[in-house]
Amino acid sequence: MLEVSALAAGYQGSDVIRDVAFHIDPGEAVMIIGSNGAGKTTLFRAVVGLLAPSAGEVGFEGEDITGMPAQRVVRLGISFVPAERHLFPRMTVQDNLSLGAYPKRPDPETMAVVMDLFPRLEERRSQTAGTMSGGEQQMLAVGRALMSNPSLLVLDEPTTGLAPKLAAEAYEALGVLRKRGLTVLVAEQQVPLAMAFSDRGYVLENGRITTEGTSAELARDPEVRRAYLGVT
Amino acid sequence: MIANILDGIVLGLQFGLLAAGLTLVYGLGGVLNLAYGQMAVVSAMVVVFAMDAGVPAFPAVLLGLVAGGLFGLLLDLTILRPVYRLHGEARVLLSLLLTLGVAFIVDGFLNWRYPLKALNLFIGGGAVEILGVPMRRGSLLASAITLVTFAALFVFFRFTILGRAVRSVIEDEEGARLVGIDPHRMLRLILVLSGVLAALVAITRSMVIPVDVQAGFGITVFALIVAVVGGLGSVPGALLAGIILGIVSSIAASSIGTFMSLVILLTAAGVTILIRPSGLLGVKE
Repeated sequence: MLEVSALAAGYQGSDVIRDVAFHIDPGEAVMIIGSNGAGKTTLFRAVVGLLAPSAGEVGFEGEDITGMPAQRVVRLGISFVPAERHLFPRMTVQDNLSLGAYPKRPDPETMAVVMDLFPRLEERRSQTAGTMSGGEQQMLAVGRALMSNPSLLVLDEPTTGLAPKLAAEAYEALGVLRKRGLTVLVAEQQVPLAMAFSDRGYVLENGRITTEGTSAELARDPEVRRAYLGVT
Repeated sequence: MIANILDGIVLGLQFGLLAAGLTLVYGLGGVLNLAYGQMAVVSAMVVVFAMDAGVPAFPAVLLGLVAGGLFGLLLDLTILRPVYRLHGEARVLLSLLLTLGVAFIVDGFLNWRYPLKALNLFIGGGAVEILGVPMRRGSLLASAITLVTFAALFVFFRFTILGRAVRSVIEDEEGARLVGIDPHRMLRLILVLSGVLAALVAITRSMVIPVDVQAGFGITVFALIVAVVGGLGSVPGALLAGIILGIVSSIAASSIGTFMSLVILLTAAGVTILIRPSGLLGVKE
């Protein structure tokens, strides 16, 4: 479904990630784990078209989308939820969700699915996004990303700034979406949560993928256990 | 006093309309268009030449509006191209310099070739009394057109998908891209809209006083003052600031003198910025 090969990208001419390759099959949940500054955000920005890669290729459902701007990538079916969310703060929850369906009118069925998944959004329908709590804003960001009916949902650290209980709830919601057949790519620092959720994972260190495997394999890997699961 | 306030509101609506086109382009794309007044004057001249050629007033006015929109489109397709490659402060500065260049060229050309041309759309008939104050028909028609324009802008930005998409770019450009909105396309649309608004400024103004070829820089300066006071990027802010400054200016002109009203206007603008740097309805950065 998604095929990334030899990807390099960065800012002001110096690459943050180099020679990154990974793939996702339809229906899979895949995680990218790595410490702060490992390049997870840069990698995702390059994949979804917010940053032009300096080398390598990104393919999505057989189409070459390398360097395609984000506004076109989303129409092909990849929705990205950035860690900073990038909501429209002075617009209502309803308007934020409606814009998720741009350029179409919001589909009432999809809207119902989102409201069902996050009942808080239903309650806050006419509240402006900027006045909501961090957890609610995260729900809204995911909800907005779902409004375009994506086939691949990409989330950059969806639990940033969330209390442990809310973080667990966020992954419960993602679990529901997976059961509906959505393919998910997630970058995470809270590795235990992501590991329980994902089928497979890649470890990104200093801009390169160092280890890969199924979640069970990674959970047994002594290096991963030491660095990301806090097991000594 | 009531007469001053009514005059002030008429003037203020003009100010508001003046600022709306400038403030939108800045809020959306970080482009400060100093050729804004020349957009208005060129549109006015198109109306003048059309009417000289025998076109009736109403279709001539429509031609003027189209000319304003085309001016905006032309800016987007030509000199603003290098501007779009820059971001933040550099973008504001380059847009300011390049559009100032356009303003000088257009202004110089018009003053050289057609120094005596002016658009005059005086509305005949006697004064109409409002709250006991006689008001000129031209002022009332100009105000009515302005109010209808603001209502149309409100409906566009609040209730249409395209209008919401434009607002989303003002609020968060990256967020807009992530839902599939092309910020450059929205900016092009708004530049065309701002050209039409500039044309409308010239047309409604010419119902009250003639708009000559020298009017350009004055329009830009007033538009800038009102846009800054209202909060750059905010159309309701432009309207509110326009009306407040219009009333201040009108009272100052009658109680102190016309020569002082500009000083008082600038003082009012300065004080607003000192108290609220983001403008009346602007967003704090």
